[in-house]
Amino acid sequence: MIELTGIERRFQVGDTEVRALRQIDLTLADGDYAAVMGPSGSGKSTLLNILGLLDRPNAGRYRLDGVETTTLDEEARARLRRERIGFVFQAFHLVPRLTAFENVELPLVLAGMAPRPRRERVRQSLAAMGLTARAGHRPDQLSGGQRQRVAIARATVTEPGLILADEPTGNLDRAAGEDVVAALEALNNKGLTLIVVTHDPALGERARRRIQMDDGAIL
Amino acid sequence: MRIEDTLSSAAHTLTAHATRSWLTLLAVALGSAAVVLLSSLGEGARRYVLDEFTQLGTHLLIVIPGRNETTGGPPPLLGETPRDLTLQDALALLRSPHIARIAPVAVGEAPVSAGSRSREVTILGSTSDYRAVRNLALAAGRFLPPGDPERAPPYAVIGQTLAEELFGSANPIGARIRIGDRRFRVIGLLEASGVSLGSNLADLALIPVSAAQALFDNPALFRILVQARGRSALDAAQDDILAIIRARHDGEDDVTVITQDALLGTFDRILGALTLAVAGIAAISLAVAGVLIMNVMLVSVSQRTAEVGLLKALGAREHDILGLFLSEALLLAAAGTAAGISLAYLGVALFNSQVAAFALAVPPWAPLAAATVSLGTGLIFGLLPALRAARLDPVAALAGH
Ligand SMILES: Nc1ncnc2c1ncn2[C@@H]1O[C@H](COP(=O)(O)OP(=O)(O)OP(=O)(O)O)[C@@H](O)[C@H]1O
Ligand SMILES: [Mg+2]
Repeated sequence: MIELTGIERRFQVGDTEVRALRQIDLTLADGDYAAVMGPSGSGKSTLLNILGLLDRPNAGRYRLDGVETTTLDEEARARLRRERIGFVFQAFHLVPRLTAFENVELPLVLAGMAPRPRRERVRQSLAAMGLTARAGHRPDQLSGGQRQRVAIARATVTEPGLILADEPTGNLDRAAGEDVVAALEALNNKGLTLIVVTHDPALGERARRRIQMDDGAIL
Repeated sequence: MRIEDTLSSAAHTLTAHATRSWLTLLAVALGSAAVVLLSSLGEGARRYVLDEFTQLGTHLLIVIPGRNETTGGPPPLLGETPRDLTLQDALALLRSPHIARIAPVAVGEAPVSAGSRSREVTILGSTSDYRAVRNLALAAGRFLPPGDPERAPPYAVIGQTLAEELFGSANPIGARIRIGDRRFRVIGLLEASGVSLGSNLADLALIPVSAAQALFDNPALFRILVQARGRSALDAAQDDILAIIRARHDGEDDVTVITQDALLGTFDRILGALTLAVAGIAAISLAVAGVLIMNVMLVSVSQRTAEVGLLKALGAREHDILGLFLSEALLLAAAGTAAGISLAYLGVALFNSQVAAFALAVPPWAPLAAATVSLGTGLIFGLLPALRAARLDPVAALAGH
């Protein structure tokens, strides 16, 4: 359950102040599937960063699963990111020197899980993305679509309730993009809340909910 | 994050950037090897000197005429001149129950000749106990015989160099020689034993003390060597010497007693300090290695900004990131130190197997000090880059700036 009320995010650029988010009110139920759309610079990524607890709003309240997050310290926010949220980025953000397996393992390593149960979870996650045969490959030995599916396996390996994807198909061709969207929608079908930022109207059409943004506000 | 995961992850990162890791490791290794090698040089020198002094004899006290101002006591009265030390002074010392042996020493230079060959050498006058007090070994013949030191027969014991100069390869034992204008018979040949406390034992002639006094026409002794009855008797022997001489010299303290231990202690301290100083200078090279570590770590942080952002997005806490980067610095320092110390021990073993005259000795504190300093610099110089990484803003870091 996501509840945003009166969220403001301002950036100081030189003398001028950019209002990246203006008075955002938004409620999303568990298992929702929302597409955030809007022109470049309208505040989509900023909204996603705040939802993902990577950034703090200047004003407003954000309750995640009933917990008021704006007053939490960094440690507690890191814990929520670790346990409740999975990120998928346009640029994949895989660690180049690590294999697919090790990349997927990272969130569990950070969570301090013991090696044995960790490996089992990673295997399941990779299998769910159809990547079992690619487990030992490094990112430069994988196609774009495979890389993004490794990133999705990584985002889901901790079994979070919320997946945030910022233009997950932006760097992919149509076929690979469709694979990735299918993978994300499959997760949503299993009950995960899915929020996707996209420029692609076709992708936006598939979401149950469209959040149209312009100049920092939801239309 | 588990500690073993932190370490293996740090090690993985280091091996992924092999070249710069090796170079930094090399710098740390050279620095810690320098600390260990230089301190083993100093320690070797210290042991060498101590050894030399121990060869002088054991439980040794040296009585020299004149008061040493640094030993304290009231300043000498105006116009006081120290009395000479005489053979009777020396013999009187044997009254002390704490003194085992004494050896009066008279010293001078005189020409020694045999046949047509002649050589100017140090002439040392003493008694038969000189041999036991100084721990001397003979190569051939016998030493000055015991007996009344006032009426000793004109015998001489000579060193190896002098023997070769005078007699070549012929046997010198029993030969007659002249020292100054007096005749002596050679009865013994000293074993070659190098330079000891400034006197070259190979190039001298040892004659009875009374003969030396007559030869140089001087009843004054150069010094008296005293051997105490064991280590615990040293202090009592020193007190007795001062008391006996004071009684014989009209109540005046006009001699100085140097104990071998005090002498040893002084050299020990000087050389110990020198070793520390040398090791300290070597430790500076470790600090330089620390700067290298910092540089490598800063490069690493700036190259991996996006990765740090990712780790934060995946839920890493500040101290996880701090731990990762600090572990890298510490692993570099630890591996470098281990390599450097092993290298140093190898070098010491190699040196000692090749060079017989002087032995390097690694003082036990040296590897510890090297490890402490290099891990310390690793920690200190790794902290700044690690803190920088830990405090990156996740959104900016993910964007790569
Ligand atoms: N760190 C920042 N400092 C200054 N201004 C920023 C910062 N981050 C975002 N902005 C500004 O906030 C506004 C919203 O940016 P945001 O990245 O959210 O847009 P977006 O909708 O994701 O655009 P795009 O579709 O191009 O990704 C923009 O005007 C941007 O310039
Ligand atoms: Mg964006």
